[in-house]
Amino acid sequence: MSALGELATIRKSKGVKATKSPAERGDNKAAIFFLAPWFVGLFLITAGPMIASLYLSFTDYSLLQPPSWIGIENYARMLEDVRLHNSLKVTATYVFVSVPLQLAAALALALFLDRGLRGLALYRSVYYLPSLLGGSVAIAILWRQIFGTSGLINQVLGFFGIQGQGWVSHPDYALGTLMILNVWTFGAPMIIFLAGLRQIPEMYYEAAQIDGAGRLRQFASITLPLLTPIIFFNLVLQLIGAFQSFTQAFVVSGGTGGPVDSTMFYTLYLYQRGFTNLDMGYASAMAWLLVVIIAALTAVNFLLSKYWVFYND
Amino acid sequence: MSHHTRTRTGGARGTRGLLRSAAVVVAAGLALTACAQEAPDNSPEAPEAEESVDPDAPVTIKFSWWGSDTRHELTQQVLDNFMEKHPNITVVSDFTDWNGYWDKLATTVAASDAPDVITQEERYLRDYATRGVLADITEYSDIIDLENMDESILASGEMEGGQYGLPTGVNAYAILANTSVFEQAGVELPDDETWTWDDYVDVATEISEKAPEGMYGTQDYGFNEPGFAIFARQRGEALYNEDGSLGFSEETLAEWWEISLQLRDQGATPPAAETVEVDAGGPEQSLVGTNRGGMAFFWTNQLGAVTNASGQDIQLLRHPGESEHERTGMYFKPAMFYSMSANSEHPEAAATLIDYLLNDPEAAEVMLSDRGLPANTEVRAAVIDQFSDVDKQAADFLSDLEDEIVDGLPVPPVGAGEVAEIIRRINAEVLFDRLSPEDAAAQFVQEVEAATGQ
Repeated sequence: MSALGELATIRKSKGVKATKSPAERGDNKAAIFFLAPWFVGLFLITAGPMIASLYLSFTDYSLLQPPSWIGIENYARMLEDVRLHNSLKVTATYVFVSVPLQLAAALALALFLDRGLRGLALYRSVYYLPSLLGGSVAIAILWRQIFGTSGLINQVLGFFGIQGQGWVSHPDYALGTLMILNVWTFGAPMIIFLAGLRQIPEMYYEAAQIDGAGRLRQFASITLPLLTPIIFFNLVLQLIGAFQSFTQAFVVSGGTGGPVDSTMFYTLYLYQRGFTNLDMGYASAMAWLLVVIIAALTAVNFLLSKYWVFYND
Repeated sequence: MSHHTRTRTGGARGTRGLLRSAAVVVAAGLALTACAQEAPDNSPEAPEAEESVDPDAPVTIKFSWWGSDTRHELTQQVLDNFMEKHPNITVVSDFTDWNGYWDKLATTVAASDAPDVITQEERYLRDYATRGVLADITEYSDIIDLENMDESILASGEMEGGQYGLPTGVNAYAILANTSVFEQAGVELPDDETWTWDDYVDVATEISEKAPEGMYGTQDYGFNEPGFAIFARQRGEALYNEDGSLGFSEETLAEWWEISLQLRDQGATPPAAETVEVDAGGPEQSLVGTNRGGMAFFWTNQLGAVTNASGQDIQLLRHPGESEHERTGMYFKPAMFYSMSANSEHPEAAATLIDYLLNDPEAAEVMLSDRGLPANTEVRAAVIDQFSDVDKQAADFLSDLEDEIVDGLPVPPVGAGEVAEIIRRINAEVLFDRLSPEDAAAQFVQEVEAATGQ
């Protein structure tokens, strides 16, 4: 599913080309050769299981016994599943709050790092580190400790005389701690923003300076518009990624999505239905609903992009 | 992303390449994590036809269990001894905590990679047995000696004409009291033969009031349905009837949660958020295990793990209210079962391991009562002298209870495994005041009836 965004980008860049020269045709052969391993993975690891899950979504499958066909019953049940609706709400809240914040943080740091600092490579690596770690089990466990009743956050608060509480174990705050975790993993979009900033021709800024534009004006009238394709690209990727978030909620809540389903991400509920309640048919149907939701969201994203993304071609 | 604009660093091709490779890396990362989460190993292992079985040919079998660190260490020791005795059998250990165990087991079964010897629990045994996952152990009675097994306990692993699980030992759900916390609070241990639920609330509240800051009288009991089963039985009701239907009234369940809220409001238990955190920590991180609380409900075989964690003298107490209503509610439960996969490639080796675990005093000497008081009466007699004080306490407690216990629980219905998750969630709703005890009771009944198909 994450390939969707990538495909779209490639298609977009292909659309620019008008005709194909012989040299480009040679390029294509090489491309197919180098893509071959990826295609093998696509069909064996992604497409195969996806087709299998499409079949399973129309069956009653307990994992322990062979599946039996029940038609659209699983999909019909989803309409009345209150917990599923709640998980959609939780996931949507998480995605629509944390992704914009994460992108803002990524852009802010990219702007900061783009000023030709000494030791830029080091800073870039340091800020990218959370992205590599953020999805890992170890960080999620660390998060549980930091936001626990006697964790780091409460110790700092205690220093200022504020009585804290168990942030990850309170339904009003648990989701917030996961959002902070997601914002913290701004490294990947930051790197892409940096690359985008490097692409903006210096002459625009020079011209603006001559005309007497200040820093803010330069940012609003040059940087931001020319960066919109990159922002769009990051937005698509991060939205898709955030919808599929699982590890953080699973580890932080001990696999329960608790307290009181407050961190019950859609994927976590899917996992519970499938593996805890042995209802893999229903879980497969849920997986397909997620595909539809993400595809629809991405389509809307592309439609809206016409109005705000500026391709300086 | 144009070909014609000049850029500060490198050509357009270079930056676009960088951009694209960054995108690929990100996408690949997303795809990888997605795979790691959901791609089950679907390759079914081709069952190899075994023509003749050479009993000495080297074989490898897998044994799965759940539990605390204490249990993992002890079990590994037992398995090492077993492998020394049977050099041709290699046992691969497959263990997790309780919460992850069932997810993992279901996955491995679906992938035709089920462990050869599977630890089971009464709430799940019927699910797995009726779906053809487990072997009927009577087929291997020439290897597994059932001669000295306690008959009444053996029956708990029997269903639909087959023996699908062999009970590892006997257990009771009881209160673990941390005597050090009681002392620090200057509160006497209650007389557990006569105390009522009101007494329990009073004692817990008194400890919270008198003990040093940060200590509590007791730990919330609402995350586990066995505690409610006892509460209902004391009132002549039951969690499940023989036919698998629900045997209690919503009022009784609401009352159970009202007491829990009373404890919370009087400060006898921690605030809800801390309670959730403590509950997630298991026996070792419990209030009693970390010397931060006076009492907690646990199974008697968890006494060792909690005592180890706390380093203090932990005493077993009967549930409150055992003499308050029409009858006693406590019961003996098979702690867990050893089962065999119906698709084991080496059933003889698996049976040999089960026989060793259940019937060899050498194994019992290491395990002691961590999987319950041994169900093999001869083994129990042989190792009882070697019990540590902790194990002895559990054994004495159970034999004291023997005369008081009216009857056992019927085998839970299919779907009972889901109830463990349902009560955990609804209890949190009650503790955070999202549901009133009455509404919670109604919702519990509705969800459990849906889960068990009643």
